[in-house]
Amino acid sequence: MHGEMPGFFPGRPGGEHDEPLLDMLLERRPIPPGAPPEVHDLARMLAAAAGPAESGELAGETAAMAAFARRASPAGISPAVSRSARRRLSGWSARGRVPLAAAVTALTAGLGSTAAAYAGVLPTPIQQFAHETIAAPAPSGAHPSTTSAASPQPSAGRQSGAAERPWDHSAVPVLAPGQGQYGRPQGLDHGRKVGRTVPSCYPGHGLPQMSPTPSPAKTPSPQGSGPYKWTPPSPSPQATDCVVLPAHAQPRTARAVR
Amino acid sequence: MIGAAFGATLARAQDGDEAAFACIFRDVQPALLRYLGVIAPEAEDVAGDTWVQVVAGLAGFRGEERAFRAWLFTIARHRAADAGRSRTRRPAVPLEMSEEAQQPVSADTADLALEALSARAVVGLIASLPHDQAEIILLRVVAGLEANDVARMVGKTPGAVRVAAHRGLRRLAGLAERAGVTH
Repeated sequence: MHGEMPGFFPGRPGGEHDEPLLDMLLERRPIPPGAPPEVHDLARMLAAAAGPAESGELAGETAAMAAFARRASPAGISPAVSRSARRRLSGWSARGRVPLAAAVTALTAGLGSTAAAYAGVLPTPIQQFAHETIAAPAPSGAHPSTTSAASPQPSAGRQSGAAERPWDHSAVPVLAPGQGQYGRPQGLDHGRKVGRTVPSCYPGHGLPQMSPTPSPAKTPSPQGSGPYKWTPPSPSPQATDCVVLPAHAQPRTARAVR
Repeated sequence: MIGAAFGATLARAQDGDEAAFACIFRDVQPALLRYLGVIAPEAEDVAGDTWVQVVAGLAGFRGEERAFRAWLFTIARHRAADAGRSRTRRPAVPLEMSEEAQQPVSADTADLALEALSARAVVGLIASLPHDQAEIILLRVVAGLEANDVARMVGKTPGAVRVAAHRGLRRLAGLAERAGVTH
């Protein structure tokens, strides 16, 4: 009946005259004594709405106090700081643990596999793969003769002149069948198969150099008189004679050594 | 409202004084629940979330009591929006008010009803207003916020807030007369 009446009081038009009273009600200021009783009634209603706590309205105090006790921090320490710190910690725990565990697992598996490869205990196909990729010993069941057809070439390209073109991969020499990894003689491999490996320059490594097995079909050998002829290690390695490979072309073990 | 002692009380609460925080809580919580009871179906849950957020940001708050209330009720409004965004936020008029409205009203019984008027009954009556009018009246009268603060909260101009509040009060006077709580 009076819901949207222009006047505040029932039956009285001209609501613009009531606006000061309405503002008083909203600001909870004292109503003038001469104001209509309806205004006083409304003021009492609003006072009741803004009154003190009634039963049950403070039931959440225990939980709020518990939250306050948990979160209250000493003066000078902003909760925002601790919050961001917790966020960092939780973010680390959430984002960091799984990748870290995966990395540790992968590293462990990799190291274990590498160790097993160098121990020569892997199954033959895997051992062969490791032999070809990371210069691990060849599978024990193989004989050097099985790879003798693998185009033995002189180990040292110094005689072929390929060292003058150090970045030419086509000039990289290939080890002879009897030459093991790092230029070791086959005797150190206990008869395991030795495949193609790409030597690189290791100045001063002191390992004995082995002369290549003669292979007249492909490369002339200036020294090729016998299959296992030792050459004493050079006291001052001629680095300029080595074929310097770019990093991506060197064996992984070579990069690790360097 | 705590009044002149609010600054010292807030400072003690920011230093971790539980008694000071309890004082603030007891002062604000009734108004908070009454406001949330109109705009959110889960008023107590939203109030709890609001206090958790207030506690988290209490040490960093700077301002007087009015600003503190505006900050707290803004948090509450956001939490209520999160909680009941897709729900109807029109609670029914409390049962005692409905029963009163059905009884024959005389001047004496109206006075008695007015004397015994509870905050819950009045808030229930306010809740039957259009939503924006009810919220603005509660923020202005129950929460004790200024028109500018309310305008900022609800996204209206101060003039629009004033107009809506006036309309709501006029409508509330009519509802109260029909409910028999006024002369």
